[in-house]
Amino acid sequence: MGILVNKNSKIAIQGITGREASMVTKHALAYGTKICAGVTPGKGGQDVEGIPVYDTMKEACQEHGIDTTVVYVPPAFAYDAVMEAIGNGIKTILIITERIPRRDTAKFLCAAKEAGARVVGPNSVGILNPVDRVKLGAIGGDNEDRCFVPGEVGVVSRSGGMTAECSWMVKHAGFGVSTSVSIGGDPLIGSSPKEILELFEADPQTKAVVMWAEPGTAYEEEVADFIKDGGFTKPFIPYVAGRFVENMPEGTVFGHAASIVQGSSGRPSLKMKRLKEAGAYVADNFNDIVEHLKNVMGRQA
Amino acid sequence: MARVLEIIGKEILKKNRIPIPECEAAKTVDQACDAAERIGYPVVIKALITVGKRGKAGAVKFAGSRTEVQQAAKEILNMTVRNFPVDQLLIEQKLDIAQELYFSITYDSTRKMPVIIASSEGGVDIEEIAEKHPDKVFKVHVDPIRGFEQYQAKELAAGLGLKGKQLAKGTVLFWRLYNVFRDYDATILEINPIAITGSGDLVAAAILFGADDDALYRQPDLSERVESGSDRSWRPLTDLEKQMVAVDEADAYRGTARYTEMDGGDIGFLCGGGGGSLLAFDALLAHGGQPANYTELGGNPPQNKVAGLVKGVLSKPGVKSLFVALNITNNTQTDVLAKGIVQAFEELGIDPAAYPTVARLAGVNDDEARTIASEAGIEYYGDEITIDDAARIMCEKMKSMV
Repeated sequence: MGILVNKNSKIAIQGITGREASMVTKHALAYGTKICAGVTPGKGGQDVEGIPVYDTMKEACQEHGIDTTVVYVPPAFAYDAVMEAIGNGIKTILIITERIPRRDTAKFLCAAKEAGARVVGPNSVGILNPVDRVKLGAIGGDNEDRCFVPGEVGVVSRSGGMTAECSWMVKHAGFGVSTSVSIGGDPLIGSSPKEILELFEADPQTKAVVMWAEPGTAYEEEVADFIKDGGFTKPFIPYVAGRFVENMPEGTVFGHAASIVQGSSGRPSLKMKRLKEAGAYVADNFNDIVEHLKNVMGRQA
Repeated sequence: MARVLEIIGKEILKKNRIPIPECEAAKTVDQACDAAERIGYPVVIKALITVGKRGKAGAVKFAGSRTEVQQAAKEILNMTVRNFPVDQLLIEQKLDIAQELYFSITYDSTRKMPVIIASSEGGVDIEEIAEKHPDKVFKVHVDPIRGFEQYQAKELAAGLGLKGKQLAKGTVLFWRLYNVFRDYDATILEINPIAITGSGDLVAAAILFGADDDALYRQPDLSERVESGSDRSWRPLTDLEKQMVAVDEADAYRGTARYTEMDGGDIGFLCGGGGGSLLAFDALLAHGGQPANYTELGGNPPQNKVAGLVKGVLSKPGVKSLFVALNITNNTQTDVLAKGIVQAFEELGIDPAAYPTVARLAGVNDDEARTIASEAGIEYYGDEITIDDAARIMCEKMKSMV
């Protein structure tokens, strides 16, 4: 099981002929992921690592019944690529592209919602399911097994790099992950932490979840309310980074674009307080993730 | 986000038929006086800087005569507001204000769409309005595909209590403001206050305009006139920060680096990624350390760039050590980072074995990184320890030095 992707996913890569996308394709194939098709306008008929390339998503869907796509196209063309995926009925869309104008993101997220399609990203490093050895995006590089071993802990992260580090902490603690999801560090993203927790709640393989959080947005407050309301019932271990930002002049951004503290909103200390009140096993120090995991997973077993 | 100077924002509003007070920019006291003569007394004199809450800082003054303009202009030009020296003024017609409204548009991360917030109690911070008059704060979410219809603007105007001709004026004003927000790729457009004048006109009196850095490529009216990423510093760049920007831009397409100087501190800080750097900084503080700077590194930088950054990090007065920590990399070659660090030490003539250094570098090519760093005498760790452990080791090292 796991969430979002599995061995039955029919995967396409939009922008597959680009330098990074073709390297990632190679790594994903070597890891064991089945990729059906690539789409790059004007390059139909070529192949990348043996994967056929089409000019349009429509052709890729006709030939392969695509249900999952990874968007690697440059920012100025990302809006149209996502609309093309939605227009062809794709229900799972992962957007790797960084620096997409916010107005474009707001529009395609609205269109996706109306079409019942799930978007993860923009600015995600990927999704990885180590049980089925399926990965979308650069996540794990060419050595996925270093950080991602199969297990029962879900990982959701606002930081791409920390998706791997948190998954490695799970391994370091003696466990493995069900699925690791990098949701992207932008202020507007398709799947919030709460929406990923809904999926982990429904996934029988996932017994606990580790979350990487940052300053800014109201995502963590939303998660706290979700837990309080009984929406997420599994042991939950969040770490909220960037406490030092609270002592910097207000409105200054460190790290990701969404990571902004203004007035009382976005403060890590308040997020931690809300999460603790909701019953989460908040890791005060990053290393505490290990202890919390041993405690909650021990109790599960 | 790129903060847009008030005069540029107001020019854009004017171009889009939104009433603004008559205004001009001035760089000297004489220019300020001439502008005031043209506009007519009384005038408002504001520091023309991209920093908010200027009124509270005393950088907004009123003047009713040439002598008063001279005095106010001189005072404000000598001011530094929240670390930004004032080098320009905005001279503006003083409006006859009967009532002040609050109006802003921004993106709501939770609902994933633009949100308009408005109140009939403008002129003070929205936080204050929300606290004192929660019943007078209106929120309207806008469908980003369908846009903001005029009837929605009318409903909002009616909700704010506007009647008769003012209702019509408010409707058009709100509708046009949303269209400016959309068409200019703003991330925030705040008008506080919208002044209702004694003669019943609605005027955008003071504005805050933030443009989307990632959309500047399609905004010719803005791209040459704003500083991209201006929300990433709370003061003008220091000389060392400017040098580091030059190091980064010398090889702009390979790797990214962002360098910020902190007040005081003795640990030179070179860490990886938007998330990993936050963790490393917090962890050093938690273990009693004092980072002297903040360097965020990403995307596979070449050796020379790494060396340039390390030299910069270590050149800040008071720095006595070097802390390097990255999350386990997906793509960034840790051996190149190790080579860059060693190169910097060589060029500075410092023996890394005698200089307190902790490097936690795991990921792509970390066997080579371990060899390179260890042979140079750098205390190296891979993924046998966590980032938190590395920070603790660094801080213990600092304590043992005293």
